[in-house]
Amino acid sequence: MNEYSGEDLEVVFPERRYEAIAKIMETAVRVRKERKWTFTDILDHVFLHRVLGIPIFLALLYAVFQFTFAISAPFSDMIDLSFGWLGSLAGANISNPMLASFVADGVCAGLGSVLVFIPPIFILFFALAILEDSGYLARAAFVMDRAMYKLGLHGRSFIPLITGFGCNIPAIMATRSIENENDRIITILVNPLMSCSARLPVYVLLAGVIFSTSYVAGAAVFSMYVLGIALAVMSALVFRKTLFRGKPAPFVLELPRYAVPGLKSVTLHMWERGKWFLIKAGTFIFAVVIVAWALSTFPWAATAGGELIENSYIAMFGHVIEPLFRPFGWNWQSAVALFFGFLAKEAVVGTFGALLGAEGEGVNIALANAHWFTPLSGFAYMVFVLIYFPCVATIGVMLKELRPRWVLFAAMYTLILAFVVASLVMAIGHLAGLA
Amino acid sequence: MPDFDTGTGRIMAIYAIALGIGYILSGVIEVFGGAGMVPGDIFGGLALFVIAATYITGVPGLLNGEHGGLSFLMGGLLLSAVFGVLYILAIGADGLEYIIGAAETLSISIRPEIWLFLVSLPLAYQVWKLTREVTW
Repeated sequence: MNEYSGEDLEVVFPERRYEAIAKIMETAVRVRKERKWTFTDILDHVFLHRVLGIPIFLALLYAVFQFTFAISAPFSDMIDLSFGWLGSLAGANISNPMLASFVADGVCAGLGSVLVFIPPIFILFFALAILEDSGYLARAAFVMDRAMYKLGLHGRSFIPLITGFGCNIPAIMATRSIENENDRIITILVNPLMSCSARLPVYVLLAGVIFSTSYVAGAAVFSMYVLGIALAVMSALVFRKTLFRGKPAPFVLELPRYAVPGLKSVTLHMWERGKWFLIKAGTFIFAVVIVAWALSTFPWAATAGGELIENSYIAMFGHVIEPLFRPFGWNWQSAVALFFGFLAKEAVVGTFGALLGAEGEGVNIALANAHWFTPLSGFAYMVFVLIYFPCVATIGVMLKELRPRWVLFAAMYTLILAFVVASLVMAIGHLAGLA
Repeated sequence: MPDFDTGTGRIMAIYAIALGIGYILSGVIEVFGGAGMVPGDIFGGLALFVIAATYITGVPGLLNGEHGGLSFLMGGLLLSAVFGVLYILAIGADGLEYIIGAAETLSISIRPEIWLFLVSLPLAYQVWKLTREVTW
């Protein structure tokens, strides 16, 4: 039918529908005076502006991440203090040294180092819910459409990509709304590059350690999100030009009216999206940090009850994979943390906690004192965590949505891209004298 | 025919220009490493340029008493409020850190985003008076 009519029916049908509605309105509705200018008209005039629309969107996104970073700190500290108190209580009152180490260093330290990230994750979802409920997020999709179309992405890809800031799993499932198969596959393939909230704890930890001021640390975290978007659109462009030739299907979107977001609705949205982190932290991540504790504590005698981690199983494994990462200046502990990060990105922080014998915010101090990272190598590590491998759960959802060869392709290209971009960061840093 | 009184529009245009200049100057200082009360913050500085551009883009429309000019003014005021409130909350968070003992000293950073937001409030009141009848 497209060929016969010479027009794109996805555009023509809605246009004809609205024309019919307008004709009916003319005859059926009596308008007493000239149509009044509404808040939706006023705000759309500026937020959908051809030039200012995208910069305003980026400025608001920056405000969201500054809000997340600045406001969550005292709440994270409270959780940290609680787990620190629990850990020391367990260490002092359990007589069996192995059990005491399990409770204090495994359960309290491991879980505590992950749970301190509940505040930033929930606050991020709170801010995104405000943008969504106010009607702005749909406008953001609209202003980004022109740029996305030029870069080979469908306008409808924007919502799954933004959802990817929360978690790549619902984001990949949300691509089902994209009818064109090629557009859908491209959106899924680039989605893991959108920095999910599981990666946020790693950025917050490392940025806090390698940068002295919170504003610079906040900017470093924000730059990860910008880099993720940039890499996603560049990858989409490459895929469109090579693997999936052709143009994306046109995008038709009905914009809702602006509204003042209600506290109850925003809180409910925040809870719906954030609760998965609590579930994941209590199950999968908990299991991973316990495995990390066991591997860093055994053989019990050789490690003197976890005191000499160099003699542990995890150190043996770390030394095997360390040469791969040595050019970046990362030690075996950092390499091991990346390995566990493949299971769940938050586990990178939990693994650092287990390896440093620290918990909660104490991981920051221990990592800073360990001097494992320079600002440059730490930033390259953040970049690597952003790009390499989707986590196991994301791989599982991708297998449901795509053929296995595309999932394998996604895993391989993200890994290669991570090495390439992290190497570029190191090279540029060295050239700029930042090493 | 203008949508609102051009005399009021002229006053708001002058106010918008003053705010725009304030945001540009603060943005330049933030981008180039900070000075005095203004911290170094590249992305924060760029955000201030966006706010300045929003205010200044609306000036011709305001001078002609057009709704379009009012749109940019409201957009700028909204962005001013977002960043102003954000950094006021950040001061509160720093205070809370000090109270729970997580921070040794109480550092209060009155960033330009805060005082420029406070300076913009009389203009916000004027805009509110003009748009009281407007519906969503």
